[in-house]
Amino acid sequence: MSATETDQMAELEQLRARVAALEAELAEQAARTERIVAEAQERAYWLDRWHLDLNTLMRKPGAAEARALVRAVRYVVRGLKKVKRTLIRRS
Amino acid sequence: MSRVSVVIPVKDGERYLAELLDALARERADEVLVIDSGSTDGSLTIARAATGVELLEIPPQDFGHGRTRNLGAERTSGELICFLTQDATPAPGWLEALHAGFALDERVGAVFGPHLPREDTSPAIARELDDHFARFAPDGEPALQRTGDPTFLSNVNAAYRRACWEEIRFRDVPYAEDQAFGADMLAAGWIKAYHPGAAVLHAHDYGAVEFMRRYFDEYRGLRATTGHVEAFHPLGALRTVRAETAADLRWMRAQGRPAGERARWAARAPVHHGGRRVFSALGSRAERLPAPLRERFSLERRDDAGGLAGATPVPPPAGRRHEPHGERELYADAAQVLRDGPAELLDAIPGTPERGRLRLALVVPPWRRGSGGHNTLFQLLSRLERRGHVCSVWVHDEVGEIDDLWPAVLRQQINDWFAPFDGPVYKGFRDWHGADVAMATGWQTVHPALLLDNTRARAYIVNDHEPEFFPTSTEGHLAADTYRHGMHCIAASPWLRDLVAERYGASADAFQLGVDHAVYAPRADVARRRDTVVYYARHSTDRRAVPIGLQALAELHRRRPETRIVLFGTDRPPRTSFPYEHCDVLSGPQLAALYNDATVGLCLSLTNFSLMPKEMLACGLPCVELAGVSAESIFGADGGPLALAPLDPMRLAAAIERLLDDPAQWERRSRAGIDFVASHTWDVATDQVETGLRHALRERELATLATSRQQ
Repeated sequence: MSATETDQMAELEQLRARVAALEAELAEQAARTERIVAEAQERAYWLDRWHLDLNTLMRKPGAAEARALVRAVRYVVRGLKKVKRTLIRRS
Repeated sequence: MSRVSVVIPVKDGERYLAELLDALARERADEVLVIDSGSTDGSLTIARAATGVELLEIPPQDFGHGRTRNLGAERTSGELICFLTQDATPAPGWLEALHAGFALDERVGAVFGPHLPREDTSPAIARELDDHFARFAPDGEPALQRTGDPTFLSNVNAAYRRACWEEIRFRDVPYAEDQAFGADMLAAGWIKAYHPGAAVLHAHDYGAVEFMRRYFDEYRGLRATTGHVEAFHPLGALRTVRAETAADLRWMRAQGRPAGERARWAARAPVHHGGRRVFSALGSRAERLPAPLRERFSLERRDDAGGLAGATPVPPPAGRRHEPHGERELYADAAQVLRDGPAELLDAIPGTPERGRLRLALVVPPWRRGSGGHNTLFQLLSRLERRGHVCSVWVHDEVGEIDDLWPAVLRQQINDWFAPFDGPVYKGFRDWHGADVAMATGWQTVHPALLLDNTRARAYIVNDHEPEFFPTSTEGHLAADTYRHGMHCIAASPWLRDLVAERYGASADAFQLGVDHAVYAPRADVARRRDTVVYYARHSTDRRAVPIGLQALAELHRRRPETRIVLFGTDRPPRTSFPYEHCDVLSGPQLAALYNDATVGLCLSLTNFSLMPKEMLACGLPCVELAGVSAESIFGADGGPLALAPLDPMRLAAAIERLLDDPAQWERRSRAGIDFVASHTWDVATDQVETGLRHALRERELATLATSRQQ
């Protein structure tokens, strides 16, 4: 085998190894992506079961107001709890 | 800008005529022609006094809705011809909007605009006008209508391109010449445009009785021009009257009409809507009424039958329009494959068939609980996933069977009903992102899988010879076509492998259906009964030959009334001539308990040998199956653990009876069954399928090599 042929073979081997590495990388990326989608589906089970698309729901008129109301109620409740805790501590 | 002529047929129209002509002057129409057919009020004076208005007088008997408008078009010269009725006053911007409508497309032959109610228009008519015209432009923008779209067109307010009118012309009909023109022009390939800005103030402000007579005329005309016959059912009419009245009152409330006015209309509305239903039905059947009655009912005092009197010629049927139900036709993917061929596969990369981790995409049809084919597929996929392959499931729902099930729910169903699966589930192929091997499964998934790009190879997990599931039909033909596109088949038995290879020339491997031995095994804690036959009576699956199976059991019952018969595998108990116990669709452990309790199993398949008998055998339950189909390819002529019998109720009953009566045969077949299925595990099946998948990749590699050598 001539030196040129040996070089070509070596280059071919290198390229093959590179392709294999890229393929392995692609498979790894695919595995990661599919895992992320599957985990999202795991979390979204009850939303899907009840046909709830929260993005669509929150775009509906009144959704932002309802959310603000919940936040306001939560703020008041937390404030009251804080006051209660302070009073208990002092007593 | 195109020159515009306006034609207004008039008869006793003094009430709005001056206002109309003033509006036309404001809109700067190039030419205005009033055609009067015998007015006796001040119409003629008004027309003569108006500047730039030409007046043409014709005898009343010469008037015809189509004929007179054709005359008006002939007597004018504008490139656009507008027709208005004598009580339609253009709103500001009317003419500009008509021009804009014609500018939408050079094939626009007619433009029409909305009719706005006047202040004194009755609520029913005002609401109807609102609703009617809102439908043409739901987003408030101009809209084009082509062949197949609604043909509505109204000469109360419409404009025509002269070239279109010259080609179509108005029919010489007593009424509804505009509707006929609308249908004719769309059929001829012209486009119709609706422009919300091209509005006129218009009202038919009649009393209740006049309204009814007007409807009589309208529907008599519609029948003559389009063949429409208004349906009439007394109860339906009552319901419509109630709904229309309620809609009027809602509309009045939304318009801020005072309560007193609403109350007055609530009293009048039923008369209006009821009269409309009755008189429109009568109008479209005018030819059945005597002429004097027709004259009395007609607002125009016409006693004709709308051209249908005498021989009552049958008009061309006017079908009911149906809106599209989906974006595509059934089996559109198959049509695309047959037309354009499959999508190109990616070139093979040397070494892929041997690679440890493959990206595998399983394309499946929708499933139901208890689906045997899906159980096989998910058992295999679950194990392929555990071996490190990157697996995903793609559900192809051709007919919207599972529209209400979202992906996360489908994924959970796989885990609950079939086998553990950690990967994602996709509905449809919108998110398709490629795979090393795309695996088609049911016949309906093959053509969609053939269209998937960014894929290195395709394989076809063949659970059964599905063309046999159908009579002569589209489905049967397409199912047979699935084996002819070069997909490497991985068949669920040697019999099936040989069949697809010999009959269709497909390359094929085989796998043996596995048994979950952790579930299906003989149980020492269950004392087996000696008088029980269990039958897989899934009558929704035709290939299970359930009617023959039930006949066999009827015969068995006749011979041995004391034998206990248990049916399972379906949630709908079949109707039989013999008593039985019914067990619905059972889970794996429940089935195993049933098989350990029973004496003989009966499970028939007219095509490929199925998993059910294997699971019975694994529990030590001898089983009766059909001879001459596929079981012999696995068990030999004797059937080994199976008692084989032809598709004959008497002989099937005899085979069951022999197993019940002959303990030696029962023992021999029971033991042979346990021994036989011992090596049939899902792990072995997965080995065989994985080998088949790698064969598919290798075939692709060889094909790529052959192509590159040719080049």
